[in-house]
Amino acid sequence: MFEQLSSLFSALMGQTGLAHFWWGNLVMIAIGMTMVFLAVVKKFEPFLLIGIGFACIVVNVPGSDLILPGGLFNYAYKGVALLIIPPLIFLGVGAMTDFGPMIANPRLVLLGAGAHLGIFVALILAKLLGFTLGESGAIGIIGGADGPMAIFVTMKLAPHLLPQISVAAYSYMALMPLIQPPVMKLLTSKAEQEMGMVQLRKVSRLEKILFPIVIAAVVNLCFPPVAPLVTMLMLGNLLREVLLVNRLAETAGGGLLNIITLVLTAAIGSTMTADTFLTYRTLQIVGLGLLAFVVGTASGVLTAKIMNLFVKDKINPLIGSAGIA
Amino acid sequence: MNSIPDNIHGAILISIIDFILSFVIISGIGVLLALLPLANRYWHIDEAKLKQGHH
Repeated sequence: MFEQLSSLFSALMGQTGLAHFWWGNLVMIAIGMTMVFLAVVKKFEPFLLIGIGFACIVVNVPGSDLILPGGLFNYAYKGVALLIIPPLIFLGVGAMTDFGPMIANPRLVLLGAGAHLGIFVALILAKLLGFTLGESGAIGIIGGADGPMAIFVTMKLAPHLLPQISVAAYSYMALMPLIQPPVMKLLTSKAEQEMGMVQLRKVSRLEKILFPIVIAAVVNLCFPPVAPLVTMLMLGNLLREVLLVNRLAETAGGGLLNIITLVLTAAIGSTMTADTFLTYRTLQIVGLGLLAFVVGTASGVLTAKIMNLFVKDKINPLIGSAGIA
Repeated sequence: MNSIPDNIHGAILISIIDFILSFVIISGIGVLLALLPLANRYWHIDEAKLKQGHH
């Protein structure tokens, strides 16, 4: 009787996830809980971290079949893997972005080039640590401070590193208010921090409409590999700037972006399984990503300071930190 | 990336080339942006009419 009960109980246990539970699952659940905590209590990027953290917790409960083929999270991940979701996010971002200040002050775009240094420093160090060149490039792009771009590049260069890189990219984006200020303060004087900038000229509606069309055409002509992202960014921006299709612009930057964000966060969180995430490589990627952010911030600020040596209307060096995104 | 060797020299090479290209390409975009105001000389869009909506 006892043996029968024991075997029945064992069979029941085998059907649950408890039999497959290991300490790695516990660590990942703790990481997921920390993400939710940071989002809810510290208000760090709640739109992203709540979904990522929650999905991370769920997929590390053994027995969950959400990430298996046919599972709901598996379908969400397919949207990322097939590179459908990142361009749609860019569509929404374009619909929400006013490029007027950049059009009014074109020299500011150079700050973006200067801030790329972080990407390349991380790339070289990743190679030194033994990653392949493709993996190193994907790791370096964390320093671009752009989640959809990081996903897009990673899926092209090193898709197997998507969990680590996407989590590092989105986590550091969320932690920007903590990472950037110390670097910015270190590299600027009090006078530079309080420096005023000249009033920007008014950008006409015509310029705002021409901008997305011209940029989309140039990017498709010269840089086809990244064209899907930038094209959708520009389409979203065109919808916003023509003033005729506010309904579409509001959908792209509102409802659609919200839906895509839900799918994206579930997809990213669902890749954070203990067996793929808890490796020494992950620690290296997280460290390199942080370095890319710090160096990118510093080089953006320094680029602004160098530009001030040559221009009459000075730039506040602090805005150089925005160059990384 | 196929023509770049998968070693540290390749990583440094691609970093230097891409960093310089970043400045060249982004400067090019800056030039395009600087040229945009020229369009105002030849064409004008009435914002008020746009805000009225379409037919």
